[in-house]
Amino acid sequence: MKFRTALLAAGLAFAAPALATPALAAPKTTLTVGMAAQDVGKLDPHLAVSTIDRAVVAWMFNGLVRFKPGSMSPAEIEPDLAERWENTADKKEWVFHLRHGVKFHGDYGELTADDVVFSLQKAADPKRSAFSADFAAFEKIEAVDPYTVKITLKQTVPSLLGILTNYSGGFIVSKKAVEALGDKFASAPIGTGPFAFASVTPNQSLELVANKAYFRGTPKLEKISYRFLPSNASRDLAFQNGELDLEYGNSDQTWIDRTRKVPHAVVDVFEPGEEAVLHLNMTHKPLDDLRVRQAIAYAINRPELLRWQGQDPSRVPGSVIPIGNLGYTADNGLPQFSLDKAKALLAEAGYPNGVTLKVVHTQLPGMLAQMQVVQAQLKRAGINLDLQVVEHATFHQMIRQDLSDIVFYSAARFPVADVYLTQFYHSRSTVKTPTAVTNFSHCNAADAEIDAARTEPDDAKQIALWQEAQRKIVAQACAVPLIETLQTWVRRDDLDYGYELKGSLSLGPLITEATHFK
Amino acid sequence: MIFYVIRRLLAAIPTLLAVLTLVFVIVRIVPGDPAIAILGDRATPAAVAALQAKLGLDRPIWEQYVTFLGRSLSGDFGSSMVTNRPILTDVGAVIPHTLDLTIAAMLIGTIIGVPAGVWAALHRNRAIDVAARLLSLIGLSFPVFVSGIFLLLAFALHWRIFPVIGNANLADPVDRLTKLVLPAATLGLVMAAYITRVTRSAMLQVLDEDYMRTARAKGVPWRRVVWRHGLRNAGLPVVTVVGLYVGILIGNSVLTEIVFNRPGLGKIIVGALNQRDYTMLQGLMVIYCFLIVVVNLLTDLTYGLIDPRVKQA
Repeated sequence: MKFRTALLAAGLAFAAPALATPALAAPKTTLTVGMAAQDVGKLDPHLAVSTIDRAVVAWMFNGLVRFKPGSMSPAEIEPDLAERWENTADKKEWVFHLRHGVKFHGDYGELTADDVVFSLQKAADPKRSAFSADFAAFEKIEAVDPYTVKITLKQTVPSLLGILTNYSGGFIVSKKAVEALGDKFASAPIGTGPFAFASVTPNQSLELVANKAYFRGTPKLEKISYRFLPSNASRDLAFQNGELDLEYGNSDQTWIDRTRKVPHAVVDVFEPGEEAVLHLNMTHKPLDDLRVRQAIAYAINRPELLRWQGQDPSRVPGSVIPIGNLGYTADNGLPQFSLDKAKALLAEAGYPNGVTLKVVHTQLPGMLAQMQVVQAQLKRAGINLDLQVVEHATFHQMIRQDLSDIVFYSAARFPVADVYLTQFYHSRSTVKTPTAVTNFSHCNAADAEIDAARTEPDDAKQIALWQEAQRKIVAQACAVPLIETLQTWVRRDDLDYGYELKGSLSLGPLITEATHFK
Repeated sequence: MIFYVIRRLLAAIPTLLAVLTLVFVIVRIVPGDPAIAILGDRATPAAVAALQAKLGLDRPIWEQYVTFLGRSLSGDFGSSMVTNRPILTDVGAVIPHTLDLTIAAMLIGTIIGVPAGVWAALHRNRAIDVAARLLSLIGLSFPVFVSGIFLLLAFALHWRIFPVIGNANLADPVDRLTKLVLPAATLGLVMAAYITRVTRSAMLQVLDEDYMRTARAKGVPWRRVVWRHGLRNAGLPVVTVVGLYVGILIGNSVLTEIVFNRPGLGKIIVGALNQRDYTMLQGLMVIYCFLIVVVNLLTDLTYGLIDPRVKQA
């Protein structure tokens, strides 16, 4: 690491005089983006699950509604393809009125209610979507007329608008294109967004062109070249050399400090914070004993983790769900670092000489380094982690088979408490069950509160239920929060997004019709 | 000669079949479910099951094997499980880059390595020999991700002669050549180091042979003795090493490809492995093995050219 740092520092010294040359007078219209990727995967937005794919589909598609660009606050959801909407008092029936004259890319015609119905039904279908679970409460989606869509729910959901935003299952695709292209749609998608798919060169780049008929106006940029550059070191060199305008960064303080010194570089650190959590498998001995789980909770030193990872890209979490989620509370009784308490609890549980736990972990360098710090912290309390390091895809399979005593998992979700609570702590989501999602701990401490909150019509009561759920999960020590890591990208200072970037649920900066070079 | 080639090609068929079977088995032994890799962590078990059915992964293993064999033998490698792009399209897009790099590295390695090895052998234990051995040791000790970054720092950032992003436009010969220089030099120098060492030791053995002394005694000029009698006899191990190394280069130049941001076969193999893209991996392995068989055949044919006894055997 030190060696690489030294190398790059040398690179900066070399690059500095070269980058100081004045920019050309005419503003550029081609944006070149460097992404840490071998290639793109699936560009069908309902199947785009990796950061690589999600960041770029957000530039090609719209939802019925959207987060205000640069924000991921549910309070700032605004019209997108729907210009207005209304709902019944019980929030079970919603009617959306579509904008007129919105054109799909290519020759796929005008967007109508049929496309919206088709898209949402597709997103809800497990055979054609990775996000079908989000649509479990949907009963009917119907076209009232070509510009009106009605959605009927089986029961109310915490944030219907959230499901319909420009994120995951909310993206609207062209019915005609999906039917005409079949499986090819995933590699040559058709949307309504400011940029349209042009071509992909395997292993090299994805090229997008401006959608001149975009309903918010012709984009100021003409082209985007999304380059796949998996090596962090050489991607950084390419940015320093002026070959990239925007680059996927590294959520690491050293990287941020070093990159800030590159002339004309602006580092953007933005939401969402991905919360890393230790999920303690309560069905495995000795973790079935609450005292052992609490000992782990006391042995974790979050401020030390923060000092290790750095102030800029990270923050100390305060609960079992990420900071900023609607319904989040730090008033939950979360144990704070105390080695004495940890050791006392272990002794009380009958393990005065400590315990050894088997942990399956990924070999992805960033996650492995974080886990090694956790391993060192727990060792001080006599809790030994026997790390079994496996390749990343293997890790994902093994943790879903209940093979690890502790699962380290880092994730951000739609920022309403219901989503994170349900997926990670509701017994319905327990791994190895037919309705499994990512409940690795077999936690069932707050099922009643999570379910009640979901259908609670009163906002204040709903939030109170979510907060109670967090207290119960903390009390059961199903999970121990570690650290939150924000998204980090770097751009050249002449690139103006056209909005202030505070957050982006697609995990990359949104490139809109207003994005331009100064 | 033609019979020799035909015999070699026929011998390649069982190799290919064995490789196909091995690839099929190995790809499935590696843990990690492609459906989970493709659908991500929010997919429901129903979605995972649906994708497995769509990809044919729920069918009996023998049925998958028969389908795979049948398709592979008819040259139909199918589409990537992840991108849905036809495998031959993806491979076709990168093969020229891989061949460019492999051939250029081989040329650099041979042009530098063979004369350096001969020269070192002729000056055994003298300064030139020690220098050649030392340089080749340095060449072998430097991993490409270090030497590559050094080259980029010097030639791309400091002197700005070459770009950092090396994905060449194949239609533009100048661009193609410009972007080949640094990666080919990185790999070529490592290869030159190998070849220098092999050539040197092969030459040292030959130099002491009776026929060398006889040739000199007959009055053949020394230069001619070395190049005609010496190098030709020392050639077999050198060709073997070059052949083996070229085979390795085709798939293993992945680090060079990543550092210089070049597309290539090695990079696709790594990507497909990370994604558990079974169909892509299978297709790539078959194509890779085919290339290895071709390289081995060319190596064998070169043996025949260097040493006529090989052809008769």
